[in-house]
Amino acid sequence: MGPYDSSISPAAGSSNSSSSACSSSTKPPPPDQMDHLLAGAGYKVRSNELNQVAERLQHLETVMVKSLPVDISEMVNDAVYYNPTDLASWVDSLLTELNTNVTVPEPVPVNTDLSDLHEFPSGMNVYGSNHAPEMHGEFSQQAVTPLEEDVSIRLVHVLMTCAEAVQRGDLSLASLLIDDLQALLGRVNSGCGIGKVGSFFVDALSQRVVNSPENGVVQVELTAYENEILYHHYYEACPYLKFAHFTANQAILEAFDGQDCVHVIDFNLMQGLQWPALIQALALRPGGPPLLRLTGIGPPSNDGRDSLREIGLKLAELARSVNVRFAFRGVAASRLDDVKPWMLQVSPKEAVAVNSIMQLHKLLGPGPPIDLVLDWIRDLNPRILMVVEQESNHNQPEFLDRFTESLYYYSTMFDSLDACTAQPEKSLAELYIQREICNVVCCEGSARVERHEPLVRWRERLTSAGFAPLHLGSNAFKQARMLLTLFSAEGYSVEENEGCLTLGWHSRPLIAASAWQAIPKPSPATMGR
Amino acid sequence: MVHIHDHDAEPYRFSINDHLDLLIEVLKRLDGRSLGAAACVCRKWCAIARNDSLWEHLCFRHVSPPPVGVRPVVSALGGYRRLYMVCVRPVLSRLKRRRIGGESEVVRRVWSQHEVELSLSLFCVEYYERLLVGGGRVAGDSPASSSLKFLCMPVNV
Repeated sequence: MGPYDSSISPAAGSSNSSSSACSSSTKPPPPDQMDHLLAGAGYKVRSNELNQVAERLQHLETVMVKSLPVDISEMVNDAVYYNPTDLASWVDSLLTELNTNVTVPEPVPVNTDLSDLHEFPSGMNVYGSNHAPEMHGEFSQQAVTPLEEDVSIRLVHVLMTCAEAVQRGDLSLASLLIDDLQALLGRVNSGCGIGKVGSFFVDALSQRVVNSPENGVVQVELTAYENEILYHHYYEACPYLKFAHFTANQAILEAFDGQDCVHVIDFNLMQGLQWPALIQALALRPGGPPLLRLTGIGPPSNDGRDSLREIGLKLAELARSVNVRFAFRGVAASRLDDVKPWMLQVSPKEAVAVNSIMQLHKLLGPGPPIDLVLDWIRDLNPRILMVVEQESNHNQPEFLDRFTESLYYYSTMFDSLDACTAQPEKSLAELYIQREICNVVCCEGSARVERHEPLVRWRERLTSAGFAPLHLGSNAFKQARMLLTLFSAEGYSVEENEGCLTLGWHSRPLIAASAWQAIPKPSPATMGR
Repeated sequence: MVHIHDHDAEPYRFSINDHLDLLIEVLKRLDGRSLGAAACVCRKWCAIARNDSLWEHLCFRHVSPPPVGVRPVVSALGGYRRLYMVCVRPVLSRLKRRRIGGESEVVRRVWSQHEVELSLSLFCVEYYERLLVGGGRVAGDSPASSSLKFLCMPVNV
């Protein structure tokens, strides 16, 4: 957001006199009355006019959207003859251009229903996608008080400025801004919406500023038991993991059609919540169930329990009750690149499926672990490689880009959590997400494992590693849609994207599931010809 | 309803409790709520209403085509009555509620294969969660486990 060239036109001042409802003068406001944060971005606005300017901007957007396209294109062809640095008058002049009656809605009387505030973070998606009209339309009808709106806008703005200061290495400014942020958080409702997400990001930023900002913070390790609890609550509170599991199971089921010996390799077993449904579906498939082998990879337990073995026993018990021949093997490895193919004991006669639910992004850190891992996956010759990843770019080299992207992404995710009916366990699910946020914002180097990349990048990566895409069929799509209708909140949407399925909140995709097949490597015998 | 205490009537009295096969035929045609109410009438009716085949009929009588080979799996996972309580009833009511306002509501809707499969999968997950919590001992009538709570909650309309 570089400042506009303020030497545009000397006629700027006189043209502004055409705006009728404009309250600011044609001269720029004196520096002590200006809002200093916006001034840093090149805009001159009086601090006490921020609310009105925001309202008018909103009104302008609504009007522009409702205008006929021909009116807009006329405007676009005109030169910019109003000085946009004087934001208030610029907005007013545009409003008079587009609309004869500049009737700005009166500030609605104070609405104590603070739950309206959660609409705001969705409004931030304006930058990314184009569903802004309905968002802002709703927004202007809902009576969020100008005061709360003001605080939310400032909160986001100060967060960005602070992140920028951290990137520049200006720690003193960053600490000052963090104090600002704490004060702002005190004024906004931190039970939902931007207040809650904002508080997590402020926490993460302050950790980073207080500890060494270049090398990043090392996150506190949780015990395996604690990790499982958080994961389980995240599984219950929102549909993302369920979507991942059910879609993956459907694809694996279809890939195993007609096979008698099947082997599933799970990159992160956790509590094995994905597998009961697959076992049951295999039990009921026409032709009877195959022999199912499951290899579960998980971190070595640091609290004495052999959780991999316990989960294996429970899954075996379930498989026995539905008469599916089942064998389990646990592989303990703290990182995926520690796993060697011989540990998996894949037999050449069996059909192999590799299942990675939000694990591959952890390999994108320094060094080439991702290529090595993809290489040995390809050597296993799996019939299907199932990849489910977060649909966002949290692996950009610049800190500010990562910060901005993750702010939008996690705001959307928290929006969707808020919209589900209140459950007491939601707080643990939020804690799970908070740890991800902390990792993206605070950590660096090999400690930063949450290196999410969007689907297009994964497609490039997997294609160059020798995998061909498999289209997820309509069965998976229908099942996903049905699963979503069972969730109480109406904002979820499933979309199909070149054979991959994405689950999102209000058309902002959050999770993407794709299926791949290994292209067999050319054998040395054929390469000589 | 069943005993006609009319001394002026014919000496022949019909008691449904003497004709349990008829009772079962009648109960088979009830909806879930009425079946539950019937189970509260007396001990004999309670025992009959708990018969899993009645609930099997309730779960899948509208499924077209009827699922094959499902019975042993469902019995192993807790039985049809539990399947109905934990999965089928909430799924059906949630899906039905979604259709109001959009398409016309079909009172006796026919399940699709997908809905059957999804319900069975959710049922299996629920069984597994009880396994995880219960440490191997799966009680027959314990309440629905946490993962399916989203089904039990009221729809945020």
